[in-house]
Amino acid sequence: MSAPSLEAPRRVLAWRPGPVALAGAVAVALVIAGEIVSPGFAGYGQLVNLMRVAAFLGVIAIGQTIVIIAGGGGVDLSVGKVATFAAIIGSRVMAGEDGDLVPAVALALLVSAAIGLVNGLGVTLLRIPPFVMTLGMIGVVQGLILAYTGGRASGQAAPALTSLVNGRVIFDLPGLLFLWLLLGLLAVWLLRRTTFGWNLFAVGANRTAAELTGVRVNRTLILAYVLSATFAGLAGILLLGYTESVFLDLADQYMLPSVAAVVIGGTLLAGGVGGYAGTAVGAIVLTVLSGLLTTLDIGGAGRTVVNGVVLLVLLSLYGRQRRLRS
Amino acid sequence: MNAPARREIWREIRLPGVQLSGAATVAMLVVAVVVNSALQPNFWNSYALTSNFATFVPLVAIAVGQTVVVLSGGLDLSLGAQVTLAGVVAVQIVDGRLDRIPLAVAAALGVGLACGALNGLVVALLRLQPIVATFATGFVFSGLALVVLPTPGGSVPVEVTTAYRDAVLGVPVALLAILGLALLWWVLRRHRVLRHIYAVGGDADAAYASLVPVTRTRVQAYVLGGLFAALAALAILANTGSGDPFVGNELTLASVAAVVIGGTALTGGRGGAGGSILGAVVLALVTNIVFFADVPTTYRQLVNGAVIIVALALAGIPALQKSPASRKRRPVA
Amino acid sequence: MSPLLEMTGVRKRYGGVQALDGAALTAVRGEVHALLGPNGSGKSTLDKTLAGTVVPDSGEIRIDGAAARIGGPRDAHALGVAAVYQQLSIVGDLTVTQNVVLGLEPARRWGFLDHRAARARAAAALDRFAAAFPGGLPLDRPAGSLGPGEQQIVEVAKALARGPRILVLDEATASLHKEQVAVLFDVVRELRASGVLVVFTSHRLDEVFALCDRATVLRNGRTVGTVELAATDEAELVRLMVGDAPRRSGAPAAAARPSPSAGAAATLEVRGLTTERLRDVGFTVRAGEVLGLGGLQGQGQSELLLALFGAARVTAGEALLDGRPLPLTSPAGAARAGVALVPGDRGRQGMFAARPIQENLSLASMHRRARLRLALGAAAERRAARSMVERLGIKIGSLADPVSTLSGGNQQKVVIGKWLLDRPRVVLLDDPTKGVDVAAKEEIYAIVRGLADDGVVVILNSSDNRELTELSDRVLVLFEGAVAEELSAAAITEKRLVAGALRLTPGESP
Repeated sequence: MSAPSLEAPRRVLAWRPGPVALAGAVAVALVIAGEIVSPGFAGYGQLVNLMRVAAFLGVIAIGQTIVIIAGGGGVDLSVGKVATFAAIIGSRVMAGEDGDLVPAVALALLVSAAIGLVNGLGVTLLRIPPFVMTLGMIGVVQGLILAYTGGRASGQAAPALTSLVNGRVIFDLPGLLFLWLLLGLLAVWLLRRTTFGWNLFAVGANRTAAELTGVRVNRTLILAYVLSATFAGLAGILLLGYTESVFLDLADQYMLPSVAAVVIGGTLLAGGVGGYAGTAVGAIVLTVLSGLLTTLDIGGAGRTVVNGVVLLVLLSLYGRQRRLRS
Repeated sequence: MNAPARREIWREIRLPGVQLSGAATVAMLVVAVVVNSALQPNFWNSYALTSNFATFVPLVAIAVGQTVVVLSGGLDLSLGAQVTLAGVVAVQIVDGRLDRIPLAVAAALGVGLACGALNGLVVALLRLQPIVATFATGFVFSGLALVVLPTPGGSVPVEVTTAYRDAVLGVPVALLAILGLALLWWVLRRHRVLRHIYAVGGDADAAYASLVPVTRTRVQAYVLGGLFAALAALAILANTGSGDPFVGNELTLASVAAVVIGGTALTGGRGGAGGSILGAVVLALVTNIVFFADVPTTYRQLVNGAVIIVALALAGIPALQKSPASRKRRPVA
Repeated sequence: MSPLLEMTGVRKRYGGVQALDGAALTAVRGEVHALLGPNGSGKSTLDKTLAGTVVPDSGEIRIDGAAARIGGPRDAHALGVAAVYQQLSIVGDLTVTQNVVLGLEPARRWGFLDHRAARARAAAALDRFAAAFPGGLPLDRPAGSLGPGEQQIVEVAKALARGPRILVLDEATASLHKEQVAVLFDVVRELRASGVLVVFTSHRLDEVFALCDRATVLRNGRTVGTVELAATDEAELVRLMVGDAPRRSGAPAAAARPSPSAGAAATLEVRGLTTERLRDVGFTVRAGEVLGLGGLQGQGQSELLLALFGAARVTAGEALLDGRPLPLTSPAGAARAGVALVPGDRGRQGMFAARPIQENLSLASMHRRARLRLALGAAAERRAARSMVERLGIKIGSLADPVSTLSGGNQQKVVIGKWLLDRPRVVLLDDPTKGVDVAAKEEIYAIVRGLADDGVVVILNSSDNRELTELSDRVLVLFEGAVAEELSAAAITEKRLVAGALRLTPGESP
């Protein structure tokens, strides 16, 4: 059969290896461009550094990938703030002591998960659009941060955490990159080899059909938001290990890039199609792009504009809605 | 205000189970005013009134703009960024000189118009989801604002700021501005464009079948949103006397919350800016209350954030009563 | 007289379904022309083509002898065509006046609305229907607050306010009371007298005979004939709609296999089931029996299946499986209790087009095979999917291909297969062979018979009467949400089904 409706998804799927490979190619091209503009850009140490910066974005974007795959306009804009909050809780509880590392991390992740739960309940039970719900949550978490810290962050990363994140292992690579690899594999397993993952794709691909196949749609969605916030919290803890001490807007700027990384990686904002491998490459592309813009002396304002334009262009490639006329 | 318009504003929003009605909005306003006047020592004295109203105007203006977009079935997450951009452009142009004010006002409105047109084109012609699309354009606008004015600064002629805090026949100028916005809405309600915006937001398929130019109507809604954002920007400049490349950030969500409190359905086609104006005033009063209730500084943000979430949840409570299948008329099987 | 409207060779394809396949319609000025056909024959699509809300893939439309290009509703309006849809173009939040003038609002300078002129126009349009509004014309009420019949009248008034030369009425009487129908018919006759062409689509044959001059009959998207109604009777029309198809190929279902013994335990018992669209439906199906649901589509068949699967809000009644009540509150609960639903709209309700065949097949049953209900074994899932691919003869390339790459028949087999892996005790099938080719149809029939032979309770809704005669042991004919007739074994013939569905008397309004 060659009906038009069968063609469209087939083409989208034929694209699917496309975006990942394409994004990879763009990353390489950007590195080469950087080397041309500013020799040394592609040096080993410099590249490891870029990868390290990409790792934080990559871990935050795990949760973003999950939420976006769930479809229905799913997105979590609060990931940056949640990561910040987790780092703040972590640093204050562990206060530079290895002995308090485990309870600190546990508490930080628990609070993150609870925030995710509220997001999930608002989106499913109260049907608040995810963009609006999670944008509103940013204000609440910011308030929690101010209330918790009194406006001044305190505490310090435990040495064990710092050496785990910054310590050099093989090929002089920081431990962080191995942690990212591990979490990335966990994400891929979760999406591709668990009932949760398959339910998630089903919900994103066709919510009505999922409901009519006996999938507990709301439960799946709520879990997606809980996981999103939890991975964001984890990224915050890793960031804490890297910076050793915290400030009040530590991870805030990851909000837009986390969405952009997912879209660059070929996960459809409409939901139901995509995966984490693409997102990881997307995180690298954005980080290299950002590094290149810095090298070119383009400031934060210019970078924001570029990120917004990149997202718009990608959306118009992937995210169109139906016509009124049939 | 004649009868049909009043009915539109005060009409109860019929949803199964819970009704968020004009009466509820007014009740919230009354409670907010009572609590505020109890806590703020000189609430009713003319200085306090003037300064309160002066801070309310921007939110009121942007709430009216958001209402128009929401009524058309969309949502504009870039409105705050538009406020910022229009503001910094205007302040750079006026540069403290009185004679450049007309030019600056025109430039601000031009920025709002251009931003709104861009959003409208992206949403209506490229058919991107409004929320995501305006999220992306919002970053473009706020980035551009930082390019125009990297740090807070610039200056507005002192005559403007003085006049803004003045009173005419005992009525604060800022209150007149709010009444002016209400009047503007009243006029717009009588125009074909707004009628079509209601129709498209209520049922785009039906509107299309009824000869309404749906695409053009959607673009017009975003353009109107942008123009109101520009008015909000001008009010902020008149109030603070200088430009700030971050000022609009928090207005976006507050505008959505004001729309919800005002009884306009986020699904579109139902409600009106009259309620949103009251909703904006309620939100502004809550901020005041939090300030005067001796809530510790560090908890204020939390309370304000929670208020916004609760306001948004008000829109969702009726959803609890309905099953997904019955949300929209189903076609005959 | 030269024809006012000529449509020829109109084709339209929706995905895998050829809705119109060379349809034609010729009608003259001052005529009420009926458009008839069984379910899915393309009547509505042809109506929408004329009204501009559907753009055909090919075909020619001539109005008054001149070739017409209708690319949207505005083009149709410019050509003097106005349409009334069953439920498409009322904006519920706008008032009746605002709806009547929508899109053509009278305005003063600069686009400001002229309320007085709008009210006058709406009042004039509705005035002809005054008898249908005993409480006075509801000009200022939100249209959504009116009853369904009144909304329908407003739709007609809105179309008339546009002064059409051609008026399309698509099932415009579906939700009207008898008195409202009478008022509408008077207006239509007036229009005819003034030279307007009315294209009238209705499933009530008595109305067609009462009102129309000629009728064009569609079948499978093709025009099979145009008749003068004065020289035709109901039997002839039914024959045109059903066709001279040969008697069904096989023997009746009941004879094809041992009929379930009368003494077997009653497995599914439904009592007084009531929802928004169902009224007090009750029946009993024994294990191994195929219960067919017949009647015109949209009379509550799909709703009944959804209700039994926990996907429609049940306001009264219950369903007992082996004496134990089924949870009618959620599909997940129904699935756990052993109920499976193959829904009517495969693309929107049944499958996950972009996902692999593997996931589509695994989804309903994977929790049984997963470790800790979480970890999936790739090999176990593949084995399960393979077993179903072989059992149902699904033709696939690789399990990893998206299900959208399959033909309609194979897609449907995947949707059925996902449930068979879950070993259901009750299988609900909603028009399972719609848009499926002939070979796959036979294979799906074999699957349905096999299920019954295995002792599964099967309830089958079908828009294809031949399918019902071939598969069902009994058929319930539904009309306006209630069981109108029960046909058993020998009585299940296509003629009986069509006659039962049309009821040949106007239905009471809901």
